[in-house]
Amino acid sequence: MTSFQIEIQIIAAIVAAACAIPGVFLVLRKMSLISDAISHSILLGIVISFFISHDLDSPLNIILATLSGIVTVVLVEFIQKTGLVKEDTAIGLVFPAMFSVGVILIALKANDVHLDVDAVLVGELGYAPSNRFFFGTVDLGPKAMWVMGTILMFSIGLLIVFFKELKISTFDEGLATALGFSPVVIHYGLMSIASVTTVGAFDAVGAILVVAMMIAPAAAMYLLTDNLKKMLFGAVSIGVVSAILGYWLAHIIDASISGAITTVLGVIFLGVYLFAPTRGVLSVLYRKKQQRKEVMLLTFLLHIQNHEEEEERHVNHLNEHINWHEVRANSVLELASKNNLIVINKGIILLTQKGKSFTDQAIQYITDNERSEIETMKDELFLFRG
Amino acid sequence: MDITSYIQLLFEDYTLQVITIGTAILGASCGMLGSFTVLRKQSLLGDAISHAALPGIALAFLILGTKNSLAILLGALLSGLIGTFWIRGMIKNTRLKSDTALGLVLSLFFGVGMLLLTYIQKQPNSNQSGLDKYLFGQAATLLLSDVWLLGIITTISLLVILFFWKELKLLLFDAEYTRTLGFNTRFLDILITSFIVLAIVLGLQTVGVVLMSTMLLAPAAAARQWTNKLSVMVFLAALFGAFSGVLGTAISTSTRGLSTGPVIVLVASLFVLISFVFSPERGILFKQLRKAKNRKDLKLFKTLSLMYEIAQTHENTSHPHQIAILNNFQGYSIRTLKELEEQELIKLEGKLWSMTKEGYQKAAQLFNQNVERND
Repeated sequence: MTSFQIEIQIIAAIVAAACAIPGVFLVLRKMSLISDAISHSILLGIVISFFISHDLDSPLNIILATLSGIVTVVLVEFIQKTGLVKEDTAIGLVFPAMFSVGVILIALKANDVHLDVDAVLVGELGYAPSNRFFFGTVDLGPKAMWVMGTILMFSIGLLIVFFKELKISTFDEGLATALGFSPVVIHYGLMSIASVTTVGAFDAVGAILVVAMMIAPAAAMYLLTDNLKKMLFGAVSIGVVSAILGYWLAHIIDASISGAITTVLGVIFLGVYLFAPTRGVLSVLYRKKQQRKEVMLLTFLLHIQNHEEEEERHVNHLNEHINWHEVRANSVLELASKNNLIVINKGIILLTQKGKSFTDQAIQYITDNERSEIETMKDELFLFRG
Repeated sequence: MDITSYIQLLFEDYTLQVITIGTAILGASCGMLGSFTVLRKQSLLGDAISHAALPGIALAFLILGTKNSLAILLGALLSGLIGTFWIRGMIKNTRLKSDTALGLVLSLFFGVGMLLLTYIQKQPNSNQSGLDKYLFGQAATLLLSDVWLLGIITTISLLVILFFWKELKLLLFDAEYTRTLGFNTRFLDILITSFIVLAIVLGLQTVGVVLMSTMLLAPAAAARQWTNKLSVMVFLAALFGAFSGVLGTAISTSTRGLSTGPVIVLVASLFVLISFVFSPERGILFKQLRKAKNRKDLKLFKTLSLMYEIAQTHENTSHPHQIAILNNFQGYSIRTLKELEEQELIKLEGKLWSMTKEGYQKAAQLFNQNVERND
């Protein structure tokens, strides 16, 4: 590994960590798409700053770009407040317009300079170490590392100091207001951090992939935990791991680093999405199937209990009377007899003693539906689970 | 270039005609289908889908090795549909909300697409140029065959919308009710979503990935301000979309170095802005005017009711009083008094005012209403 490669990985890891932190709050506050909006509209700020300073590296860049990110948020909120369109429509109207103005300004005025819109969208991490930071004549390392490192430290600092406020205002805005934290200040604080981070990061990874770095780790952790601290640490770890893995993926197949990082993020998220213990899709679907079966079993038992006539209780008549397909009827029958709830005598279904008391309990459960009793009853009722 | 010479050019230049017709059709079909996404509160679906199409484009090129636009279209359509249904699945089956689901699909698919694109570019002897036009779109690359394709698909989607009009309308405004009526909402949903994805994929070449969402959103959002009727809205949105396409093309071709996408987006945004401000029912301008008028009326009535109380104390209700005694009441101004005089509710003579008969009656009515309400 050359020092160049190490530097790229360090920068990628820092960018990932810095993005993951505001990302967690964006996901929790249901504002993920704000990151998309900000990452596009900062182009306008950068273009304007370029016209003023004629220098792509001036600090004015970061200030104006951040400002245009905040302007986007303000505009979106203003349009929302007029009530003319819904929130997401407001986002969708504002940022493409601002982005377009940026693109057109570049085309009209800055066509001959190095301000490439493709690079803005896609970014190129591979070049980041070649832009170095000098103190006098001493080479202090890549500039991107310093910029993003500062932003990361800054947001970690703010996070530690305002953790309580952020937590309360995220989960219970009413309580936060009642306790005297201004939700407005916290909201715009968070938006500013998101904006600054986006500005710092998009040089390296481009406007669209910033969005992935912000919300994919947070979304994955959201499916794994209910604890804010765990979510933050987990998101940062996922970000850093995929940054490094992504770099090597790009190295092996010789393709865009930011694309590879996003791909790794995507694979990790997909894995979590499918296999997360209680909130993953597979376990959700499995649980749904279980519940459906439980309900069917109950319906079936109630039906048997309600009918004295032999013909209603004949195995072959289940199809007609409860209107189930044969497969379902068979699986329910099997489940019931496995749990010793019924016996089948010459094709006639009879409830056992256990089956009777079970059904009585079930009726009670349905009729006096009191919350406190449900949980204990459920344990008794659904013993046959799994 | 001025307008007349542009129009002249439009009649002479074959390529320009193709492009103009193409963008007009695209705008119309996006506006039409966009009305449905906006009303279903899926405005940013367009943004997500257009980004999600990228890996499909790259894969189609990678596997088939051609730049044949039909193959690429198919790839884009497939990955767009996968993206859409993944968004649905996430919202339905996990605790992730729609904004996160959209953002994830948008950025993750795009990232994979970027990876594949850069991979393709590094391949030896790949004639990859022309793929990056999908990022920003270049209407100038529209061919007559593309326009035909656009036209055919737009016509089909129009026919489908007309055929299922009643069902789609129901689905938009009350999905649960539609289901209880026995319509297959799943089928309808997939139908309209597929056409939306198709329109987006077709538009990518012209306006590009980033700005495609505006083509769906802006005309519909603008049209929404002018009407409460779905049919009118769809029609207006199509009209706005077509106009944005034509005007955008005109501006971008008459200025050197401008991509079509951003210009069309800005024109469409302008339509939105105008609609927001000037639409008579919902527009900001008329809303403010109505508010101002209400405030003024309230002020007049307040002054009038004060005068009524003073006039009541005297036997002759038209007896003149000093203007000065109104002073302890803050609501009046010289303008209000003049206004009241113009409406012939009071008479002014020097520093004296007196109520007319009509004024007294009107104020009494106001007063009675207040009393009744207080009871």
